[in-house]
Amino acid sequence: MNVLEPASIPIFLTIAALVMTVSVLLSRVSDKAGVPVFLLFLLLGVILGGRASRVTFENYRDCFVFGNVALALILFDGGLNTPFDRVREGIAPAAVLASLGVLGTAGLVALFAGLFGFSTAKACLLGVIVAPTDAAAVFSIVRSGGLQLKKRMAVILELESGLNDPMAVILTITLTESLVAGRGVAPAALLEIPLALAIGAIAGVVVGYGGRWLLAHAQLPAGGLYPVLTLSVAFFAFGLSEIAKGSGFLSAYVAAVTIGNGPMPYRGGILRVHDSAAWLCQIAMYLLLGLLIVPAEMLKVAPAGIALGLVLAFVARPAIVALCLLPFGYKIREIGYLGWVGLRGAVPIVLATYPVLAGTEGAQVLFNIVFFIVVVNTLVPGATVRWATAWLGLGLAERSAPPALLDIVSTRILTGSEIVSFSVDSSTAGCGAAISDLPFPPESAAILLIRNQQLVAPRGSTVLAPGDHVYVLCRREDRPLVYLIFGKAESD
Amino acid sequence: MKITDILSPEMVVPDLRGNNKPAVIRELGTRLVSKHSEVDLEELVAVLLERERLGSTAIGDGIAIPHGKLRAVDRILGVFGRHAPGVDFESLDGKPTHLFFLLVAPEDSTSLHLKALARVSRLFKDAAFRDRLIATSDPVETYRLIKEEDAKY
Repeated sequence: MNVLEPASIPIFLTIAALVMTVSVLLSRVSDKAGVPVFLLFLLLGVILGGRASRVTFENYRDCFVFGNVALALILFDGGLNTPFDRVREGIAPAAVLASLGVLGTAGLVALFAGLFGFSTAKACLLGVIVAPTDAAAVFSIVRSGGLQLKKRMAVILELESGLNDPMAVILTITLTESLVAGRGVAPAALLEIPLALAIGAIAGVVVGYGGRWLLAHAQLPAGGLYPVLTLSVAFFAFGLSEIAKGSGFLSAYVAAVTIGNGPMPYRGGILRVHDSAAWLCQIAMYLLLGLLIVPAEMLKVAPAGIALGLVLAFVARPAIVALCLLPFGYKIREIGYLGWVGLRGAVPIVLATYPVLAGTEGAQVLFNIVFFIVVVNTLVPGATVRWATAWLGLGLAERSAPPALLDIVSTRILTGSEIVSFSVDSSTAGCGAAISDLPFPPESAAILLIRNQQLVAPRGSTVLAPGDHVYVLCRREDRPLVYLIFGKAESD
Repeated sequence: MKITDILSPEMVVPDLRGNNKPAVIRELGTRLVSKHSEVDLEELVAVLLERERLGSTAIGDGIAIPHGKLRAVDRILGVFGRHAPGVDFESLDGKPTHLFFLLVAPEDSTSLHLKALARVSRLFKDAAFRDRLIATSDPVETYRLIKEEDAKY
């Protein structure tokens, strides 16, 4: 089917719509089963591509191109939601994990891959490709178990996964190019890696601040235009850095952190659009990658793939994480946990298309093996992550807050107080209180109440009942008292 | 309402040792039931932990105010605790918690319960006062400091 042919467009759209709907609905299955939803997308792709004898070079190229765009947007979305104090808290251990950790993990995997008959160069390439982790996979499983991971742990996993993608991308490209050229990796190429990361970081900060300025001064006529602006910032950050021979992924991530921590008009709307874009990218990317897979070819490398997957999960990741984190004074169980939950996502599979594209000899086998390593490293730790979180006492003793019922979005940057919403629970001090009894500071007020899905004006005599949602206007410095009265804010 | 109305001198625990949230809550609760036999320790701990599940009461700056309602008590009761090395109480600012003020209120006194919470959280506003409390291991001196600070408002 040629998508560009006019008559085929309706057919293409119909099929795409059905596949996307099924994918979206699959997320509910994954929540129940405790399997990261992306494995289901991938599986759906494999099933759809059942008679995938039509896999051609073109498909790999499309996947690689789309994979890059998708990863940039997914990283950008992650960055937008990363508060700066978390970056400060976790940057040192995460940076070590994302640099030395990637090298170490790659090295150990390569060592074992050598036993399966891979040449040193190809074994190293394989190790590098499977090194990057996916924090979103961990969070989705932990959350679906009704648990929340302790902040200290979540911060590292999140930053690590944001930072190790750029590292792995650069290493994969460097190694592939040297393989194709049939020479060893020149020492100069290794020096280019820190340089590319530095350029990426600088480009990200510059574009991020530029984006902040633009958002604050644009005064756009329609709220819907703001997310278009931030999407362009994401692409610009990626593109500019790559043109300057820097890491586009790092640049996109850093730009997003810079923008996300600044004042932003239409914040809720922008975040929602990027969240959706990231989801859409995930679904499309995994489906495409699933289509690439030829089950018959796959099975030939199953033993080696599964064995190397187990090596990564049980030996390489835990050992390297332990070595990297020892200097930071983490508890043994924390190190053990971080070493165990190194779930893998799409990045290794996208990276594995690169050697195929570059025409590396034997790259197809590599791609197939990477697929198994990713699946094993998602299923094995994935199946146990809820249990490990609880057993090691690394879950928060809090349940996750319900989402807010009503979003109040500003199209200009407003300062002063903020609006925070709470779900009233019978265990909180505020439950059963009349509005006039709330010991708020003079600058704070309960401004809105949702009761039985109806908007209600809170009067002094209104008594807060369990199940109510109360919206409080308060200054940042008064938040602690308000939290004390109502517990955690919704969507916090 | 004065802090001294809720906190009696023997309700000061200068040397909390627990290294996690449930352990510290149990230590504070144990002190409370030692003088108030009408309170059941297990029920108290369960009520306080249930409140923690809705969001930590460690509001930052090293302070936590675990609180809850109990049918068995007829007035608001408080226990002050000091954890010199600091403990992970899942605080809002991510820092270890050193000073604890446990509050238990009767089921039907919502208004007083809220007043007590506001009063206690204001008590700890001053950084120099917090540092003095962390540095003081003598419960008599601690009680005197709290009384003196509370009288300022």
